[in-house]
Amino acid sequence: MDIQLKRGLLDVCVLAAIKNEDSYGYRIIKDMKPYLELSESTLYTILKRLETARMLEVHTVEHEGRLRKYYHITPAGVQRIEEFKTDWEEIRSIYRFITREEA
Amino acid sequence: MKKEEFVQELRQKLSGIPQSDIEERVSYYCEMIDDRMEDGLSEEEAVAAIGSVDDVVAQIMSEIPLSKLVKHRATKERKWNAGMIVLLVLGFPLWFSLLIAFFAVLLSLYITLWSIVISFYAVVLALALTALVSLPAALIFLSTGKPAGSVLCIGAGMFCAGLAILFFLLSTAMTKGIIFLTAKLLLGIKHLVVGKEAA
Repeated sequence: MDIQLKRGLLDVCVLAAIKNEDSYGYRIIKDMKPYLELSESTLYTILKRLETARMLEVHTVEHEGRLRKYYHITPAGVQRIEEFKTDWEEIRSIYRFITREEA
Repeated sequence: MKKEEFVQELRQKLSGIPQSDIEERVSYYCEMIDDRMEDGLSEEEAVAAIGSVDDVVAQIMSEIPLSKLVKHRATKERKWNAGMIVLLVLGFPLWFSLLIAFFAVLLSLYITLWSIVISFYAVVLALALTALVSLPAALIFLSTGKPAGSVLCIGAGMFCAGLAILFFLLSTAMTKGIIFLTAKLLLGIKHLVVGKEAA
């Protein structure tokens, strides 16, 4: 898949993974597994990028005697998902145009 | 591999980057390994799931901007004494010109690489133009009653068009190759900056 397209898509996927409740690294990977394979290193980059863009916030929680980072979506992150949905409608209509001849 | 070995190797291979970055990465990977073990994997399996240390390091290196690495190296060495400062100041004409030379060589390497690409595309353009122009030329020959010349022009035109297509494919393949090469070059420079640190 086109790298730029995939990058944008992965950002929204990670935001969607923490949309309903705060989540942590391993759970994000596990939740996404049925849909797409994501390596730890790739996830780190995405989380960093989203944090810099203030689309998510990080907080540390103690769990079983160790620390675990939880990621919480911000209003900007929710807005990004909404933007993606409208973008997707546009892409859908473009897709229909592209495949029009084949029908 | 045990978690402790993984962390130790990761720390050692990342020793050229800022300490805060190392700690952040290490705690991130530790959390991942712990969570996998909690999920029922053995320690070895959990570490293996992360991938090899070298792969992890390579990805981290490619993400950290070169400017950050250079700045880190420049600010880290605080053990200056008077003699070193005098040497540094006296040696300024020498090391500064060497530094300029180093970057000049890099720049010229870049320019050379892209000049090759540009020259290839110029050839494509020239061939395509020749192919295009040979058509009216053929018509002119025909109108002046020289069919042999006309046939020659059409033949030459087709030959050039064919070559143009071939060269175009070659050029695009080469452009891709050079983009890949420049990315490798940048990674190589980063390793150069960091490598000395680890040694």
